[in-house]
Amino acid sequence: MPGPLEGVRIIEMGQLIAIPFAMKLLADMGAQVIRLESTGRLESYRSDSVYQNDVSGEFWNRGANFYEQNRNKLGVTLDLSKPEGLAIIKELVSVADIFSENFTPRVIKNFGLEYEDLKKIKPDIIMVSSTGYGFYGPWSNYGATGPSTEGASGLAYQTGYLGGPPVMAEIPYTDYTSGEHTVFAVMAALMHRLRTGQGQFIDISQTQATSATIPEVLMDFSANGRTGQRMGNQDAAMSPHGCYPCRGDDRWLTMAVATDDEWQAVCRVLGQDGWANDPRFEDSLSRWKNRDELDALIGPVTSPWDAHELMHELQKEGVAAGAVLDSKDLLFDPHLGERDFYEVVTHHDSTGIPPLPYAGRPWKLSKTPAVKSKAAPLMGEHNTLVLSELLGKTADEMAALEETGIIGYGPTNPRPVQRPSLDEQVRQGRMQRYETDFQEQVRRAFPG
Amino acid sequence: MIERALEGVRVLDLTHHISGPYCTKLLADFGAEVIKVERPGGDPARRMAPFFHDEADPEKSLVFAYLNTNKQSVTLNLKSEKGIQVLRSLVAESDVLVENFAPRVMPSFGLDFEALQQINPGLVMTSISNFGQTGPYRDYKAADIVEYALGGLMYIFGAYDREPLKHAYNQAQFKAGTDAASATLMAVYHQRLTEAGQRVDISIQEAVATGLRDVVNNFTYSGAVRRRQPNHSGDLTRMRASADGHLLPNPGIGASLDWNTLVDFLGLPELDDERFSTPTARLVNAEELGRILDEYFTKQNKYDMFHAANEKRFIFGVIQSPEEVMADPQLAARNFFVDIDHPVLGTLKYPGAPFEMSGTPWEVRAAAPTLGQHNQEVIGRRLGHTLEQLVQMRAMRII
Repeated sequence: MPGPLEGVRIIEMGQLIAIPFAMKLLADMGAQVIRLESTGRLESYRSDSVYQNDVSGEFWNRGANFYEQNRNKLGVTLDLSKPEGLAIIKELVSVADIFSENFTPRVIKNFGLEYEDLKKIKPDIIMVSSTGYGFYGPWSNYGATGPSTEGASGLAYQTGYLGGPPVMAEIPYTDYTSGEHTVFAVMAALMHRLRTGQGQFIDISQTQATSATIPEVLMDFSANGRTGQRMGNQDAAMSPHGCYPCRGDDRWLTMAVATDDEWQAVCRVLGQDGWANDPRFEDSLSRWKNRDELDALIGPVTSPWDAHELMHELQKEGVAAGAVLDSKDLLFDPHLGERDFYEVVTHHDSTGIPPLPYAGRPWKLSKTPAVKSKAAPLMGEHNTLVLSELLGKTADEMAALEETGIIGYGPTNPRPVQRPSLDEQVRQGRMQRYETDFQEQVRRAFPG
Repeated sequence: MIERALEGVRVLDLTHHISGPYCTKLLADFGAEVIKVERPGGDPARRMAPFFHDEADPEKSLVFAYLNTNKQSVTLNLKSEKGIQVLRSLVAESDVLVENFAPRVMPSFGLDFEALQQINPGLVMTSISNFGQTGPYRDYKAADIVEYALGGLMYIFGAYDREPLKHAYNQAQFKAGTDAASATLMAVYHQRLTEAGQRVDISIQEAVATGLRDVVNNFTYSGAVRRRQPNHSGDLTRMRASADGHLLPNPGIGASLDWNTLVDFLGLPELDDERFSTPTARLVNAEELGRILDEYFTKQNKYDMFHAANEKRFIFGVIQSPEEVMADPQLAARNFFVDIDHPVLGTLKYPGAPFEMSGTPWEVRAAAPTLGQHNQEVIGRRLGHTLEQLVQMRAMRII
């Protein structure tokens, strides 16, 4: 069964995560996504985190994050600084359903690729732009990264340890939040087009999409003029509610206790009869009032436990608990495994990368599941397929495009990022550890 | 009349708390017709703080008011036969049913997907749950913090030498709600083309685990397990305290950083020194660099710095408090906060469009419903029950 978006063609001029992530999810569901790249300005995910940190040869076809964000897409290179490159984009738009991009509005305006321009070429085109602060407004041309929009949205201000400064996620978190909203917006526009035949312009502000997910904070200020404290892992109503140490180096367990029954179960599992009868903890209100004391008591009691074992013991008794999974735990998590969350993708022989598992999608559709995954494209891998087969360029025209550098198969100015050795990264604390037999472990668990 | 993207999409909403209601809010705010079925005591989110003026009243939960705009509310006791019967008639005339009960609950009402399909073969049934509808953790309990832990986001979040941390409040629930809304529309899109219904299974754990970078692939590409990052004081992109809050300097990373341009911009001649002019030198003298930068930024006004830097195309960011977010001129220019008039709460400013659509804009047609506000309209008029029957159902605690 094909994906539900079979027949939808998307042109992507994306970079990093916000748009590439969203378009990947649409590609997974059957849309044909043609991703445009520049040979002059190499996408940084092509030059970083390369397989086994080997930056020799065609390193740009071995970047982990590039493969993560771009599976199931067709890859075309185009030099947009030349009029011939721009002309090809416009030809592609004329046969597309959706044009998506995440550059600053200034760049798109300079290219003459605003919605009004595209509409003249393809009247029912759906265009989606994703920017840090939105396509118009006084901050619209400010560049942004994940942390800056997490900061602007109000989410970062509220997040952090008790009494400490704001803390942000160590991933470009808002790229994902806004990317998730982008998928929804594109689907809403497709629904509308299906009914009316009309296209439109979607303007995603990464800040705004994130602010839409913190009503607890913004509504409290709006209605009550109140700004809450940063609460660490504590909750506004539940206690215990936190992250507690377990046996081993940097191992942790989370739990969230809502009811008296759950609390009694915690006392039983941890063998603490004294807590069960302690008036300081007798009901949810008293536990919440004495939450600092309670948290301080729990840590030493959970420390000898294995995090997974304690999670299962608590869950068996009806308590919400979860081990804090590190990279390896997450990859080999038996529950995700049972649900086939990871998909093994085969890479092009020239890359030397063996078949590897990648995270799937945040949904399962019973009748129209995703298409079988293909690896992200090598640089320029689909130049011929797209330009000659789809746009009808002749062999002579293709040769001319290649000769003038409008298309290409590698960066014009390769600058790989050599990461420090793993030993050095462990020494710096960036990595908790590394395991030299990882290839064997991955192959055994995900034979493909 | 405003064009609505999801005009004609009929959603039967059996959701509660946050993830499900955010899914159906997105659908409703872009034009779907959403009937929210609440248990007679109401969606538990009606008892969730913060409340308007701290008055704990089921019509005064601010999060509930935000999450349920543009929906109609009917109450139904699904533990009664008549309640189930009414629900079945609603299923017959819906395109979509969304629910976020624990996986065992819908089958216990006799409302598993197979049964619903017999009533309405084109139905899209979207289920959101902690860990999905299958697998060994299917019936495990969770809260947002547990989803952060088992979704892989928590281990890499927070200080290197402290316990892992999570975002404030309910981000995992919002992620799952957004994903559920997207997946629902994919299934409805297919339904419009083929008339076929299907089941959509959303796991909150997977909603978190799909939004990570350099986690699983660190292991599959190099065998390494990434930890919460140490954050040395000389790190140029480190968040700094300003005179009035916090600022995120991001002067350009790696090769794209021009040290002299940065030194000129900051107006800090003491950094024009070989102790700091190369990445290696800056690592060696990180502590001294950190001290100079901390001292400098503490004297700055964060917005002045933010604007000046961005004018020069340095990607600086600013940490905004809730008050500052609500006064943000960019959000104001985009009319992000909107006034909504609610029968009990009066007029308040709410966060509005998460994104803009030129042809089919986000809009508020109605504030969140009071409990059972639309019983008469939906169960009475639409399903053809008389006023007497409604009174009787009420007496029997079915509505």
